[in-house]
Amino acid sequence: MNMVAEQPWLWAGLGAYLVATLVAMWGVSPRSENSLLVVNKTHEKLVLGFIVLGVLLLTAAIAARWVRIGHGPWISLFELLMSQMWSLGLIFAVLYWKLPGLRPSTVIVLPVMWILGSWVLLLEPDISHFPATYYNVWKWSHVGVGKVFLALLLAGVGLGGVMILRTTERGKVWFRAMPSDAVIDKLAWRLMMLALVFDSLMLIAGAVWAQDAWGRYWAWDSLETSAFLTWIFLAIGLHVRLTYKIKPWVSGAIIIGIFIMAFSTYFGVPYLSPSAHKGMV
Amino acid sequence: MLRHLASLKFTLVGMVLLAGGATLSYGNPADVSVWVLIVPLALLALNLAAAIITNPRINRQPGLLVFHVCLLATVLLAGLGRLTHLDAHLEIAQNEAFSKDILQEVRKGPWHSGNLDKVQFVQGAYTVDYAPGLKRGLTHSQVFLPGVGGATVMQDVGDDRPLILERYRFYTTHNKGFAPILTWLPDQGEPITGRINMPAYPLYDYKQDNSWIPPGTKEEIKFWLQLQTGMTLDKPWVLDGRNASGTLVVTSGGKRVELKPGDEVSLAHGRLRFENLTTWMGYRVFYDPTIQWLFWVTVVGVFGLTHFFWVKLNLVPWLDEGNERRGGKA
Repeated sequence: MNMVAEQPWLWAGLGAYLVATLVAMWGVSPRSENSLLVVNKTHEKLVLGFIVLGVLLLTAAIAARWVRIGHGPWISLFELLMSQMWSLGLIFAVLYWKLPGLRPSTVIVLPVMWILGSWVLLLEPDISHFPATYYNVWKWSHVGVGKVFLALLLAGVGLGGVMILRTTERGKVWFRAMPSDAVIDKLAWRLMMLALVFDSLMLIAGAVWAQDAWGRYWAWDSLETSAFLTWIFLAIGLHVRLTYKIKPWVSGAIIIGIFIMAFSTYFGVPYLSPSAHKGMV
Repeated sequence: MLRHLASLKFTLVGMVLLAGGATLSYGNPADVSVWVLIVPLALLALNLAAAIITNPRINRQPGLLVFHVCLLATVLLAGLGRLTHLDAHLEIAQNEAFSKDILQEVRKGPWHSGNLDKVQFVQGAYTVDYAPGLKRGLTHSQVFLPGVGGATVMQDVGDDRPLILERYRFYTTHNKGFAPILTWLPDQGEPITGRINMPAYPLYDYKQDNSWIPPGTKEEIKFWLQLQTGMTLDKPWVLDGRNASGTLVVTSGGKRVELKPGDEVSLAHGRLRFENLTTWMGYRVFYDPTIQWLFWVTVVGVFGLTHFFWVKLNLVPWLDEGNERRGGKA
């Protein structure tokens, strides 16, 4: 296999994420409880540092590919996965920095990102064709707000996972340093509300782009339908929480369900359905 | 009554029904009724209207009120859009003037009342860029519009740059090709000049054929166009009808003749002259007077939601254990 320009940067970026994952796991382990690094919370700085390093290396990978093929990471699954690894890392790093309470949930968030990281390593970095309709400026806003949306959901998944794992003895030990379930639940649903804002913006920008690109703003193609279902599921989740008094683990399960729907919209439907965005090319 | 209608449980039922309707609408299947969407949307609209009036959680919080009012307006505007819309396709040849009579596959709402009669343009030449592997790139289609004092104004349209006239939006499509212009000189009667649109090119490069039966006869004339366009698979290529030439193979009554532009052939009931080769462009036509309103209403709605969220964010700290002990829910 011939190595292309972006691959060394990609591998190095994923390597940095791997180190961040391992340090985060070591940090929640009861064996490291008395370690000075953990007592002083220096391990959290290390985790943040390696995530940021990963983001910088992935920035270089995206730039190298952009220069090599002449367009940004918009088209192939390889490009989309690489670009999502970058944006998820970047936005999670900001949340990690600003919200110390969610930091131990990194042991759930980074392994979820590793699904994408492992996947991208299995794909060939072939040159993709840039369709005429992708010159449209609305693509930038559609993709940009979509990235924020998915990253907020991912952070919510970390907190949802904590609420579920805390029903086990081991989970209670791992996440002993985090606030109570009630506080985590509140924070998780705030992230979900912010996600709803960005999901709505993504649908609006996508509709404007679709109108320009394919002459209709909505056509119930498989990708549009799946994105709409994700929006509805998110709205249902928010209203369920308002209507019923639900247990934290149920709350966590609902958030994870919404994320699975969003994940399949991003990485499943466009590449599995032959009819996704029919007019694309 | 209004309070029951505004119930959050009713909202959840409506949302689940809408999710079901959206799932059934996947891929726009022809055998699924539009009512699977209309019924849950109508239920949710009623529920939402009742909630806006009676629920203080909504009507006493400006951001949330704006969001829900805009959500209701979005549903109503989308409905109005379907009642007034027009969707159609057309194939127009170079130098041909637009007429509403050339619209095909017209689908329109019962309240459609646009000024299609006032739409005027003449189709010009077009070019389409292709990357190696015959992957379609940018389309540049020239259209000529009436200008001031009888002059014409050229406009370049294509892909995501539609021609917009009288709120009708004309989008170029992948459907475009070549058309021989022919004159039929019957043994008896007046000559007729017209064109035969060949299948889309280069999609159907391998079958550029069509047929025609001259009026007053029963004899079918078959046409096969041999094109020279310079198309290459391994290098970038630009489809430009002005650089193309073609030989028209005419078959009728056991006779087979190859014609170049200007040539003619005698057939059973008259003579056929191949005048020249031209191109045609396929457009998608879209009309919906609500789209700008829809855009602004949805943007304002999201702005309302953001405002609500921002207020919440500033009132209650994100990680406040004390607030939870006091029973706060944000």
